[in-house]
Amino acid sequence: MIDLSAYTDNPDINLSPGAASDTLVLSMGPQHPSTHGVLRVMLKLDGETVVEAEPELGFLHTGIEKQAENLFWQQAVTVVDRADYLAPLSNSLCYVLAAERLLGIDNVPKRAQVQRVIFTELTRIASHLVWLGTHAIDLGAMSNFFYAFEMRERILRIMEFVTGARMHQSWFRIGGVALDVPKGFLALLDEFIVAFPPRLADLRAILEGNVIMMDRLVGVGTIDATDAIAWGLTGPSLRATGVAYDVRKAFPYSGYDEYDFEVPTHDGGDCYSRFLVRVREMHEAWRIIKQARERFPGGPVTIDDRKIVSPPKTEIQHSMEALIHHFKLVSSGFNIPEGHIYNCVESPRGELGMYVTSAGGNKPWRVRWRPPSFYNLQALKRLAPGNLIADVVAIIGSLDPVFGEVDR
Amino acid sequence: MEVSPHHPFITTKLDEFVRWAQTSSIWPMTMGLACCAIEMMSIVSPRYDVSRFGAEKFSSSPRQSDLMIVSGRVANKMVPVIKQLFEQMPDPKWVISMGACASSGGVFDNYAVVPCDTFLPVDVYVPGCPPSPDALIYGIMQIRKQIEAGGKREVLVARA
Amino acid sequence: MPETVHPHPDRATTAGLMPALELAAGEGLLEAASLDDMDEAAILPGALHAAVETLRSFGFMHLLDVGGTDHLPLTPRFEVSYHFATIDPMRRDPKAPVSRFRLRVFPQDQDPVVPSLTKYWPSADWAEREVYDLFGVRFDGHPDLKRILMPDDWEGHPLRKDYPLRGTRQNFVPGGRVGPIPPTRD
Repeated sequence: MIDLSAYTDNPDINLSPGAASDTLVLSMGPQHPSTHGVLRVMLKLDGETVVEAEPELGFLHTGIEKQAENLFWQQAVTVVDRADYLAPLSNSLCYVLAAERLLGIDNVPKRAQVQRVIFTELTRIASHLVWLGTHAIDLGAMSNFFYAFEMRERILRIMEFVTGARMHQSWFRIGGVALDVPKGFLALLDEFIVAFPPRLADLRAILEGNVIMMDRLVGVGTIDATDAIAWGLTGPSLRATGVAYDVRKAFPYSGYDEYDFEVPTHDGGDCYSRFLVRVREMHEAWRIIKQARERFPGGPVTIDDRKIVSPPKTEIQHSMEALIHHFKLVSSGFNIPEGHIYNCVESPRGELGMYVTSAGGNKPWRVRWRPPSFYNLQALKRLAPGNLIADVVAIIGSLDPVFGEVDR
Repeated sequence: MEVSPHHPFITTKLDEFVRWAQTSSIWPMTMGLACCAIEMMSIVSPRYDVSRFGAEKFSSSPRQSDLMIVSGRVANKMVPVIKQLFEQMPDPKWVISMGACASSGGVFDNYAVVPCDTFLPVDVYVPGCPPSPDALIYGIMQIRKQIEAGGKREVLVARA
Repeated sequence: MPETVHPHPDRATTAGLMPALELAAGEGLLEAASLDDMDEAAILPGALHAAVETLRSFGFMHLLDVGGTDHLPLTPRFEVSYHFATIDPMRRDPKAPVSRFRLRVFPQDQDPVVPSLTKYWPSADWAEREVYDLFGVRFDGHPDLKRILMPDDWEGHPLRKDYPLRGTRQNFVPGGRVGPIPPTRD
């Protein structure tokens, strides 16, 4: 007889002979190729079917919110970028808009607004390309990963040309953008605008309507609209249940109400619907970039307030007053009057909100993130049970969480 | 290594032969934590193609990898996990600390981020936030140089 | 043209909201305001459930966010902020107006306790655990209130204003070695 006494104390191991269902607790992660980051999901399995899924977070907690409380308003743009690391400029945009509203700035120049829109939409396409590549490779379609990343390299090359950094550009500033785009930017952007649609068509031809993708994604992780709202979903995951809520249309910012674009929705509520919504969003983002390129206006890229935005370098070298402004801004920043505001933007993952509280000083008092992935990921508890383990991978991929913003 | 012109033989030392094999097939483990992980994924992409150097096989299992690239900020909760994974890797193993956050805490000088050299023996530090894929490939080249210069130990060691 | 344009909130459905809230919250209503981004009300924890039921009856079915703030050295010290939005499951027009509302709950005691909203919204689960983890505000009625972002054996609540930025232990490595850098080669 085998001595099983070592196992009988463990509550997770059920040794009763002939029991109808023994559940196994499996820890998936935090190091796992398909969890898109550091996520541990404690899966309770009955054979291959998931009975209960409890995600565990915190493996990437960086204290970004506390770090932002210890940096000047303009300096905090650098740490804010690093939360949602696939779409850094969305985070920046949300924070910068919140600070501008607290300051009461409403005259950011047109050129800066158009540049903000172009770069945010480029970031959206880049983020969706990473999602597409990794989601497809999780399901076994390896070639898409290479096509998607090659396209992303073009976008990152444009970013590097303008801002100097591929990721974490920290290019938006309170009052405009850091520097104007260099010569040659419009030519690069035109090249991208021409090159993107055929590649998107390629990616869609491989995956959309593909028998294997549909087998893996249709009917998996289904949620209806009422449940989606109860679980706090936003973004493509909510639009895949049919609810047409997009912050760019509901609460327009940066001139989004002047662009002609659609908000793709789908009625299925399953992984395939989320997939379709995101792929269509890439096309809509491309359309916005095209329209923004056509209306690329001239003019300054920052507001004229020397107390907020540093004067140009050429002037600092000649004028004492400009030098003093620059010195004051670098050594002690500027104060934002007391108040609090909730500002949201549409990040590729959903509604990214920031509840910024100012106590009147030169540092933020509190920057509370409303991370879309945090709430989207919580829905895993509702979506995973009843599916197979392999479906959990598909569901996590279709929710598209980024752990930098889940854990902050 | 000498190739004799008249007979189909190659003469070399066993150490050199093993080091040649090690440098040509460094298999990284996917320790992708944060933003640096995306740049780590980009080295496999066509533009930076790390499979020229034999390192494109990212094995998720630590049992079958030689190189741990700690890419991203290490939070407190993740430290025991990384230590366990490092101990599961078979010898000889190397560690690249990729990015500013893994090397020293980076932008985040606070309670939550731990530099990875406080609990792992690091061979190469790659600075950057995030380092571009070129920089990471350069880091892998440095590991190759370290292996060629002497490696982790001699191949044939009398074990007690 | 202004940088951010917010369409006029749908005052039609929220026209009766403030009086209804005042009625429901009664003594618990500290202050009500109408700010640039949305209306808000500051209430005591005891009035939270009544206020939430009023909001739900006006169509605020989406809980956007639960967040915490530490206002040290002011009292009351802690604030738990709730944001709601009227997003309707049958919403098909992206341009249809959406109303938002903010509730700011100020627990008055040194050991703050706030009623939990998990019975109305399953999404409040993790958000309340995070506020507990980072601020120490406990939620009464939460099914499983434990730390979510910090390790389970962490002491202290990091986002409080009296918690130092660098933490209470330098180079804290749980279960690991704190000392000289280990050698890199055999």
